[in-house]
Amino acid sequence: MTKPPIDLLQGTVDVLILRTLAWEPMHGYGVARFIRQRTEGVLTIESAALYQALHRLERKKWIRAEWGLSENNRRAKYYSLTADGRKQLREEAATWRSYAEAVFKVLEPV
Amino acid sequence: MGRPRRYLRFPWRSSPRLRADLDEELRFYFDMRTRELVEQGMSDADARREAVREFGDVEYTKRYCLAEDAMSRREERRTDYVAELRQDMMHSWRTFRRSPGFAVIALLTLALGIGANTAIFSVVNGLLLRDLPYGEPDRVVRVWGAHKDSGVDRSQISAGDFIDLRTRQRSFTALGAFAWGGGTYIGTGDPVRLSGARVDANVFRVLGVRPYLGRTFAAGEDSSGVNPTIVLGFSVWRRVFGGASSIVGKTVNISGRSNTVIGVLPPTFFFPTMAEAEIFTPLDLTPVLRDVNRSRKFHNLGAIGLLRPGVTVAQAGAELKGITAQLERDFPQSNSNMTVATVGMRDAVVGDTRPALLVLLGASLLVLLIACANVAGMLLSRAVSRRQELAVRAALGAGRARLVRQMMTESLILALAGGAIGLAVALWGTHALVASAGDRLPAASQVTADATVLLTALAVSVASGVVFGLVPALAASRGIQLALKESGRGTSSGVSRHRMRTALVTGQLALAAMLLVGAGLLVRSLVGLQKRDLGYSIESTLTFEILLAGDRYDSGAAQDQFFDALYTRLEALPGVVAVGGSGNIPLRGGASASLAIDGRPQPEGRLPEVGYQPVSDNLFKAMGVPLKRGRTFGPQDRQDSPPVVMLSESAARAYWPNGDPMGARVRLGPNPNDPWMTVVGIVGDVRMGVDGESRPTAYVSGRQDHWGGMAVVMRTTTEPTSLLPAVRREVRALDPTIPVSDAYSMKQVRTQGLTDRRLPMQLMAAFALLALVLAAVGVYGVMAYSVAARTREIGVRVALGAQPRNVFGMVVRQGMGAAAAGLTLGLLGAAALGRVLTSLLYGVKPTDVLTFVGVAGVLLAVVLAACLVPARRALRVDPLEALRSE
Repeated sequence: MTKPPIDLLQGTVDVLILRTLAWEPMHGYGVARFIRQRTEGVLTIESAALYQALHRLERKKWIRAEWGLSENNRRAKYYSLTADGRKQLREEAATWRSYAEAVFKVLEPV
Repeated sequence: MGRPRRYLRFPWRSSPRLRADLDEELRFYFDMRTRELVEQGMSDADARREAVREFGDVEYTKRYCLAEDAMSRREERRTDYVAELRQDMMHSWRTFRRSPGFAVIALLTLALGIGANTAIFSVVNGLLLRDLPYGEPDRVVRVWGAHKDSGVDRSQISAGDFIDLRTRQRSFTALGAFAWGGGTYIGTGDPVRLSGARVDANVFRVLGVRPYLGRTFAAGEDSSGVNPTIVLGFSVWRRVFGGASSIVGKTVNISGRSNTVIGVLPPTFFFPTMAEAEIFTPLDLTPVLRDVNRSRKFHNLGAIGLLRPGVTVAQAGAELKGITAQLERDFPQSNSNMTVATVGMRDAVVGDTRPALLVLLGASLLVLLIACANVAGMLLSRAVSRRQELAVRAALGAGRARLVRQMMTESLILALAGGAIGLAVALWGTHALVASAGDRLPAASQVTADATVLLTALAVSVASGVVFGLVPALAASRGIQLALKESGRGTSSGVSRHRMRTALVTGQLALAAMLLVGAGLLVRSLVGLQKRDLGYSIESTLTFEILLAGDRYDSGAAQDQFFDALYTRLEALPGVVAVGGSGNIPLRGGASASLAIDGRPQPEGRLPEVGYQPVSDNLFKAMGVPLKRGRTFGPQDRQDSPPVVMLSESAARAYWPNGDPMGARVRLGPNPNDPWMTVVGIVGDVRMGVDGESRPTAYVSGRQDHWGGMAVVMRTTTEPTSLLPAVRREVRALDPTIPVSDAYSMKQVRTQGLTDRRLPMQLMAAFALLALVLAAVGVYGVMAYSVAARTREIGVRVALGAQPRNVFGMVVRQGMGAAAAGLTLGLLGAAALGRVLTSLLYGVKPTDVLTFVGVAGVLLAVVLAACLVPARRALRVDPLEALRSE
C-alpha cells in the first residue's frame, strides 16, 4: 500500500480548479494544461492531486461532470462549474485575496 | 477550445461502470499528455513513461476517485429517491382529494382493522409480554397447595407445611407466605371495607418491591408482640388515606386496631394472584403453629418464592414435591395426597386469561385481513378508472417499477393514516376494555400504550399497506401496456382483475364465517350459562357483606345479637320477603372442611372434604333453596345447645348411599376434640360460581360457628337495589362503624362472575359484526362493479328477450356463488380451528351444528342483501342506451 502523499495545497488546488472551470467547461487534461500555462510553471501541481480534487469537488456538487467529445473527437469527461461552485469560488477567492494582502503587508516595508 | 457536444448525462452508474469511466478518463489524460510530450520531441515510449511518472500516484488516485464517485452516486440516488417520494406523496394527496369518498371509506376500514388489532395487542402486551412490576419477575414463583387425589392444584398450604418447605428447600433465596387480610378502615368519614393481605417479612423481599414511600416489612416484624404495622397500596393511599406523604409514621384504625403506617407501595404494583389486595399487614404464624390440630390441617396460606439464579421452576417444583412426599410419610393423617404445584409468576397471574386473549388476537387479525381485502378490492376497482392516468404517466417515461412504487406510496399513506386513526381508536378501545374488565383483569395497571404497542401499530399499518397495496399495484402496472392500446373496455386484464376481486370477496366471506362461528359459539355458551338452573333463585335478590370489626364483637353472643337485630330490622322493611346470611354466597365460592362420620372407621389417610357454610335461620328461604327433609336452623339452635348440621342432597347421597343421614352424627373440621354434630335437615343442591357444579356441602348454624361477618341475602318484591339506602340506614342505626360493602343484586353478582366469559364473547361478536359488514361492503363492491362492467352484455340479453327475472337471477347467482364458496371454506376453517375455543366454551361443542347452520343463514342473507342493489340496477339497464353508449 502506498502511503497517500500529503497534499498541503489541497485548498489551493480546489480554488484553482474552480477558477479555471469558471472560464468554460474543460476536461481534466485541459484543466492541467491551463493551470500549467497560466502559472507559467511556477506552481507545479501533480496531475494526481488534480484528478483527486476534480472528483472530490464533483462529490461536493461544486462542479458537475458530463461526457462530451474532445477537440480530436475522443470521448472525454468534461467538468463545469455549478451555481454552488461559483458561490464557493467567490468566497475562496476573497479569502485568498485577504490572506495574500495580509502576508504582503508584513513582507513589504511601508 | 470549442464547446463539447453533450450526448450523455449519466444518471447513475453501477460500480464496474464507475471504474470503466474513471479508466477512460485517465486514459484520455495519458494519451493527450503523451502526444504533447511527443510533440516536444520525445520518443513515443519515453513520452508515455514520462506522462505516468509526472502524474504521481496513479493507484492511489484511482482508489481515491472511485471512493468519491461511489459517495456521489449514493447521495444522488438518495436525493432522487426523496424527490420522487415527495412527488408520489403530492400525487397521492391530489388523488385522494379527487375521490374523497374512496379515501374516507378506506381510512375508516383500516382504522377499524388496525384499531381492533392494536387494542387487543396492547392488552396482550400488558399481560403476556411486559415484565411484571417486580424486582426480578422471571425468578418469582407461585407455590400452590395441590391434592393428588382430587386434581385440585391451586389450593392453599398449611402453616406447618409452609415452615417445613421454607426451612428444607434449597431452590429459593427466599420463600414467603401470605393469607387473606384486609379489614375496615375507621377514619373520620364512613367506615370503608378494604381488601388486603397478611404477609410475612419475606413476601416483599421475594417481589423485590421498592416502596414509593417509607419501607416494607423488616425481618421479625411479622412476629407477635411487635407494634402492629401496615403498608398501603398506592391507589388506596390516594383514595382513602388522603395521599399525603406525611402518612408514614402515623397510625390508622383498621377494624378497631391501630396500625402504624410504615410505607406506601409504588403505583404499578399489584399483589400477584390477589390483585385486589390494597392494604398489607404482617402475618404472624405462631398462634396457628402452636395449635396441633390446625398447624397442618388448616390450609390458608399462599406462598411465593424467589428462585436462586440458575434454578428453573421445574427444578424448584421437583424439590418441593420431594419435601411434601416426606411430609406425607411423616404426617399421613393430615398430609396424605397433599403436595404442591409451582408455577412461574407470569403463568400464575395471567394463565387463565391467556387462551381468551390469544383467541381474540387471532380474531382481530382476521378482521384486519378482511379490512385489507376490502381496501385491496377498492384499489383494484379504482385501478380501472385510473388506467388512462397510469397509461399517460407510463407514456411520459415512468417505468413499471416507478408506477408500482407510486401506487405503493399511495397505499402506505392510506395505511399510515388509517393506522394513526386506528391508534386513536385503539387507545380509546383499550381504555374501555380495561374499564369493562374491571377487577377481572389480573394486571390491569400493566396495560398501557408503551413503545412496544406504538411500534407494533406502526408495523401492522405498514404490513397492511403492503398486503392490500401490492397486488392492485402489480395488476394495474401490468394492465398498462394493454391500456395504452385500448380505449378502456372489457380488456382481458379487466377479466383477471375481476377474478381477483371475486377471490378476495370469497376469502373475506370465509374469514367472516369463521369469526361468526366463533362469536356464535361464545354467545351460545353465555346464553346457556345465563339460563342454567343454579339451584336457587337470583331474581329479586339483594346481597351485601357485613364484616364486624372491633373488640365488642369478639364474643359470639355479640355477633348473634347484631345479626339477629339486623335481620329483624331488614325483614320489617316494606318489600322484603325474607332475609338470611351465609358465610359466602355460592356465586362467590365457599369454604370447605373435612367430614368424619360417627360410627364409621377412620379411613386411611385424609378425611373427605365437603363444602362448609355457616348460615342464618332464614337463609334457605331467602335464597329459594328447597328444604328436602327435616328442618332448617331455628332460634333453638344456640351457641350452648347441642350442635346441629344440615346437608346438601349430594352430600347425603355421597356419604349415605344406602342409609338415612337424618339423625347421624358428624364432625366437621380437623379438631378431634370438637363435639359431634347431629344432622337435622337436608336441602337442595346449589351450584358454585357461575359455571361450577354443586358440591357436597355441610351447613352449620351461624350461631354455632361465628365468622365475624356474613354475606346477607334479601329476597324482595321490588327492584332489589332500590332497597339499598334503607339497608344502609338500618345498619348505621345498629352500629355506625360497620360498613355495608359489595352490595349488589344477585343478578349483578352473576353478571360480574360472567365477565370473564362475556368480555371475550362481546369482543368476538363485535369483531364478527365488523367482519360481516366489511365482507358485505366487499360483496356489494364487486357486484356493483360487475354489473357496471356488464351493462352492455345485460343490454344485449334484454334486447334478445331476457326477462327481468333472468337478469336479476344472473346477478344474484353470481353473488351467491362467491358466498357459497366462501361459506364452505369458512365453515371448514371454523371446524378445523374450533378447538382453540374449547377452553372458552360452556356446554357447547366447537362443532355445534346449530351455530354452523345459523352462521350459514346469516351470511347468505347478508350477501343476498348486498347483491340486491346491484341486481336492481341491472334491471334498470335500458338496452337501447347500453348498446348506443358503445
